[in-house]
Amino acid sequence: MIDYIVSILTEGAIFAIMALGLNIIWGWSGDFDLAFYGYVALGAYMTLVLTVGPATSPTEYILGLSLPFPVAVIIAMLSTMTLALIVGSIALRHLRGIYFSIVTLGAVYVLYIFAGQFVPLFNGFNGVSGLFDPMGDVLGLGFTAYPYFYLALCLVVLAVVVLVVTRLSGSRFGLALRSLREDERAAAAFGRDIYVMKLKAYVIGAALGGLGGGLFVGYLSAFNTSAWSPVETITLYAAILVGGRGSTRGVLLGIVVMYMGLQEATRYLPEVAGHASFAPAFRLILTGIVLVLFIRFRPQGILPERRLRDKDISGTGGTASVAVENPITGPALDPGAA
Amino acid sequence: MTALLEVRGLCKHFGGVLAVNECSFSAAEGQITGLIGPNGAGKSTAIDLISGFKIPDTGTVVFEGNEVQGRTPHRISRMGMIRTFQTPREWPGLSVLENLILAHFEPRREQFWRSMRGPSHAEKVDAAAQLSRARTILEEFGLIELRNERAGNLSGGQKRLVEFARIRMAAPRLVILDEPMGGVNPVLGERMATAVLGFVAAGTSVVIVEHNLPFIERVTDKVVVMAEGRVIADGPFDSLRSNQAVVDSYLGEMPTYDDADA
Repeated sequence: MIDYIVSILTEGAIFAIMALGLNIIWGWSGDFDLAFYGYVALGAYMTLVLTVGPATSPTEYILGLSLPFPVAVIIAMLSTMTLALIVGSIALRHLRGIYFSIVTLGAVYVLYIFAGQFVPLFNGFNGVSGLFDPMGDVLGLGFTAYPYFYLALCLVVLAVVVLVVTRLSGSRFGLALRSLREDERAAAAFGRDIYVMKLKAYVIGAALGGLGGGLFVGYLSAFNTSAWSPVETITLYAAILVGGRGSTRGVLLGIVVMYMGLQEATRYLPEVAGHASFAPAFRLILTGIVLVLFIRFRPQGILPERRLRDKDISGTGGTASVAVENPITGPALDPGAA
Repeated sequence: MTALLEVRGLCKHFGGVLAVNECSFSAAEGQITGLIGPNGAGKSTAIDLISGFKIPDTGTVVFEGNEVQGRTPHRISRMGMIRTFQTPREWPGLSVLENLILAHFEPRREQFWRSMRGPSHAEKVDAAAQLSRARTILEEFGLIELRNERAGNLSGGQKRLVEFARIRMAAPRLVILDEPMGGVNPVLGERMATAVLGFVAAGTSVVIVEHNLPFIERVTDKVVVMAEGRVIADGPFDSLRSNQAVVDSYLGEMPTYDDADA
């Protein structure tokens, strides 16, 4: 039982990091990106081939540098950002809405087919394996203690990500990105370079996807194309939508509800003889139903993105009563500054 | 009086349609210039060409002595020329106050690394000053009670006012207003006329595209008349009443009571 809790919390923390990354792209700057799971996968693959030793026949893959896990994850993030920069600079140039989504979907399928068919890269459909308990031997952790360590590691990384994302969200950078989501022609009319801003958001979001992928593969110890289905992207989108698009607290809650909650809710389903995949399938159906209900009745999510609340009633400002409850523009409206 | 904006020989065609044909006019500093003409005269296209939202086939746009044709909208905006659109384009999901704060563009503070680091003391002081300026402007436009409301929840007229308040907040050198009176009732219209005059008082010159002729007559110093992509006349509004070309193409379209009797 405790093993189960540890594993679901670890997965939850990793998926939360990915969802927070996707939230920057879709929640803040408003681009419905379908390539996102490709960045997660690239982060996972790169982390693998950087940490494991050289390939031995019959397996084939690039690199195999036996680097320490944290270094590998950082390099994996950088390669993910590079790929996002390439895809984003093409897709964000002129395309918006569904056309942007189609191009990103195309990009992720190219990557998917490439990873699956071009064996010398990541060993084709068989994938790469061999990353067992990263950092476990260095720290002298035993077989039983290791899952707790990895859970703690993921939670610490998640906490750092939450801090960074919260800071960005409340900054002028974060607020300006929201203006692109709301009306980008008006944003351009007021001086924003839409293309550059959207590209920045895209690369930052993809970096978190790569980070999530790196941690995910440390948990799974192996990765191949079958671990990489488009459905995963939908789960992330569902979590963001249900929790509250654009809102950091909302996304975290969304992961708890849509990922951990649904997992838990469908855990004790009776087994149907001859239908082994009944529970996972039912989980997807449930995800769909919850999504539809939310889009219909509460599209802003459980914890919607908070707006700046200016409570000063005198209207003249400039006094110590410049009280701002929520800091979408955060430090900008610091009471102490007046 | 120097020309703040000078448009020379602007042309733009879409397929076989020549939307703007050798359009030339100028707008003087500290003045309100009206741009009128029948539907399809090319007014909106001309604005798009001037503000960078469309690229002209030929012609030059000189703003404060710099040629700006073909530049991107955000670069032109940063030079001090801001435009509005025919329909209000508020940022609907943001609050009214946030709409104003974002109208004041600060490129340095919006940089990623700066946002990570947090604002310096000087920036905090400046931000507090901008906040109180935003409040003052909202009060002036009668929107102060709505400052925490989502801009998308406002009525059509209030959205127009939010757009005007954003212009005041941005304080550009020149604003181009594209049909600001569309769907606005007479009472609000009076307030908007005051606001347009207020732009000039605050140091923002105005170019205004509008079909509401009493409004144009009231606020403009000079009127440019376009028809079929060309400028057919320009001068003070009164002088245009006697201009046969203007009457034929535009003013003459307005029915008079005499017609009804006959």
